Amino acid sequence: MLVNLPGPWNPWLGRLALSEIPYTNPILAPLFVVVVVLVLLMVAGITYYGKWGYLWKEWLTTVDHKKLGIMYIILGLVMLFRGFIDGLMMRTQQAMAVGPHASGMMGAVHGYLTPFHFGQIYSAHGMIMILLAATPLLVGIMNIVIPLQIGARDMAYPYLNALGLWITAAAVVLVMASLFVGDFAHNGWFGYAPIFELAYSPGVGVDYWIWTFQLVALGTTLGSINFIATIVKMRAPGMKWLRLPMFTWASLSANIIALTSFPCLQVAIGLVAADRYLGTHFFTAGFGGNLMLYTNLFWLWGHPEVYFVILPAFGMISEIIPTFSEKPLFGYVTMVLATFAIAGVSWLVWLHHFFTMGMGPYVSTEFSVATMLVGIPTGVKVFNWAFTMYRGRLTYTAAMYWALGALFLLLVGGLTGMMLSIPAINYMVHNSVFVVAHFHMMLLCIVYAIFGSVIYWFPKVFGYTLNEAWGKTMFWLFSAGTALVFIPMFMEGFMGMTRRLDWPFDPHWAPYLDIQMLGILAYVLSILAFVVMLYVSIRDRAQHRAAADAWGTSRSLEWLTASPVPFYNFAVVPQVNARDEAAWRREHGLSAQRASHYDAIHMPNNTGNAIIIGGLTFVLGFALTWRIWWLSLISLLAIIAMMISHSAKGDPGHVIPAEEMERMDREAERAMPRADLPRHSGGVLGGAIAYDSGAAGAGSRNLRGAPDHRP
Amino acid sequence: MSHGQDNPLAHPEVQMANNRSYVTGFIVASLLMAAATVLVSGHLLPPFALLLAITGCAGLAIIAQVYFLLHMDLSEHSIWNTVALIMFIPLFVITIGLTWWMFSQLYLRTMPMIPGMPGMH
Repeated sequence: MLVNLPGPWNPWLGRLALSEIPYTNPILAPLFVVVVVLVLLMVAGITYYGKWGYLWKEWLTTVDHKKLGIMYIILGLVMLFRGFIDGLMMRTQQAMAVGPHASGMMGAVHGYLTPFHFGQIYSAHGMIMILLAATPLLVGIMNIVIPLQIGARDMAYPYLNALGLWITAAAVVLVMASLFVGDFAHNGWFGYAPIFELAYSPGVGVDYWIWTFQLVALGTTLGSINFIATIVKMRAPGMKWLRLPMFTWASLSANIIALTSFPCLQVAIGLVAADRYLGTHFFTAGFGGNLMLYTNLFWLWGHPEVYFVILPAFGMISEIIPTFSEKPLFGYVTMVLATFAIAGVSWLVWLHHFFTMGMGPYVSTEFSVATMLVGIPTGVKVFNWAFTMYRGRLTYTAAMYWALGALFLLLVGGLTGMMLSIPAINYMVHNSVFVVAHFHMMLLCIVYAIFGSVIYWFPKVFGYTLNEAWGKTMFWLFSAGTALVFIPMFMEGFMGMTRRLDWPFDPHWAPYLDIQMLGILAYVLSILAFVVMLYVSIRDRAQHRAAADAWGTSRSLEWLTASPVPFYNFAVVPQVNARDEAAWRREHGLSAQRASHYDAIHMPNNTGNAIIIGGLTFVLGFALTWRIWWLSLISLLAIIAMMISHSAKGDPGHVIPAEEMERMDREAERAMPRADLPRHSGGVLGGAIAYDSGAAGAGSRNLRGAPDHRP
Repeated sequence: MSHGQDNPLAHPEVQMANNRSYVTGFIVASLLMAAATVLVSGHLLPPFALLLAITGCAGLAIIAQVYFLLHMDLSEHSIWNTVALIMFIPLFVITIGLTWWMFSQLYLRTMPMIPGMPGMH
């Protein structure tokens, strides 16, 4: 061993021992029992209904981008819930422990959580919310929507897509395992040097943190390669760059950021791993190490990551608002430019996360100015959305509620961000809960956009709309929670309350913390409203069957194909004639236009390799965390062997004959309710091409639709 | 797609494979790495010159690997790789350049050189 490992270690189990399972912890032990019972119930249920084969064939081995997207979203929602429970525990602890005379229970001096446990909770909350909730939710929505918006049959690399999902899932399982086996890191989600060094954090918590980070970074990088390749190479005929829907543009810029920044994270965390496993001194105080180098390397990724999560959210807002304003997006080209400007500037601002490092006025000024520059393209976007709504025919659906809520939060978060970009102010509120409230505004802006787009695209994926009334109820409860938790938090920040306090010592903070508990209650109710919304919508799905254009006013290409989207996406790859193709066809009376000729198409085969490799990466992460070297080596070799064998085998795919395509398309058509077509007479002078011949969509060939036989 | 998907041997990456360039790239990169190692382990140069020398070796190794191993040039099939490489230059300048500036300013203020004391630089 290269490092001086405190505590026992043996060659077979590494640091793993029965005493590492916290069965005496009064919070974790009952939770463990609940989880085990739930898992047993699920397994029993699946076995009872005989669904193992279905689960394996249709979901676990799938390479269909829509199903992978749905699984990403489920993963993200589960982790959003887990992260929320962490938040609830932190709020409860602070409300209980405030002031010098607060009583303690369950081993804590104040409140009910010991400092060590509290540290693990805020570290897990931050990491889970950003990397294992927001990121999978966004990647899931991108996965579903991008190929549909550009008229592709699947992603450029369907197998890589599945691999990305299962590696992300491995990261999720690893972070959940830290609940019940050993500890999690207590050094904050982004880590501080040198507290994460082995000498100061001798447990396995930091190791869990390292390998979870590495796995999710790997999964996201693979995904970003796939998205970029898909958008560059797989667009339908006629889908020129300036006809790309805004969400696709936003996703493209976000994934360029991801591809260029996630390697920084992997290097930074890899160097921490080298310090802890190999005994190097990158981030130690002595031996030539530099503490701040870690912070620098981390935020070199960390800030682009912030824009990686916010840009797709901007893209979602840019899809929802035009649809429910019945107008094209205002200032499309400026919107594209603003998106890329934000992506570009994202690389120049990372120092504002540690203005107080002490590098003096010149460096601070550069990063301060660069940070303020972000306000310009963001302002362009906000005005574009406002002008899109101006004199539009607004429909206040639940999705629109969420989009407007996101705009409002963006305003609050953006303006407080402008305050924080000024180093003088930043010195005053550094590490206070004011900063916490600011970035929660931004991340909640993303969450609002995600809920909006879940409601917006749900009918496209599942074929029926979600219940509007419950969607709005959830919106109001969630917004009440947001206001009640974060407005007092801004105020506490001004009162000097620092972040991560397991014991808020000043009794003046007590009323604010109590109000925040009310906010948490509203959040809990909003989760219940979400569950009720799902239940009611699934129960009444027959009444709310969606047509191809579920909202009647949709604009982009994905609304041309059937709802729910069949596995082949488009029976015949459409010819794109305009920027908002669905709206263009509707306005020209071409919505009911069907292809007159079908061709055989080529689709990728399912494979079990992706989930097996994902499982092996979990084993690798777990073995490395517990320093079980033989298991690490075996799982690493197995991963490499699986990769090579899969590559050598290749995927011949399968061909669906033209008659079969025609039959499936007619069936999907019949299953949908008749769309309400606009009353004005259709037809375009000179004729328009709906389905061009010679379209090269994954080996298919389509024929020209006849545009002139419309009634 | 610019090339057929059925025959992996028809991919340009495979077509460009060439034993001589792989071996050359490997030897050149190994020699540069060995040179850097010898310079550092033997303390053969004063500290600053050492820094410049190993930076130079690393730069040459990058060029050798990009050219001999990755076959990057302006031909039709590797133009995208080359574009990506060129796009990487501003990122490199930003990340490494700003970091260097930041830390030099930090050291100026937090690690003053005391006469007679071994410094960081």
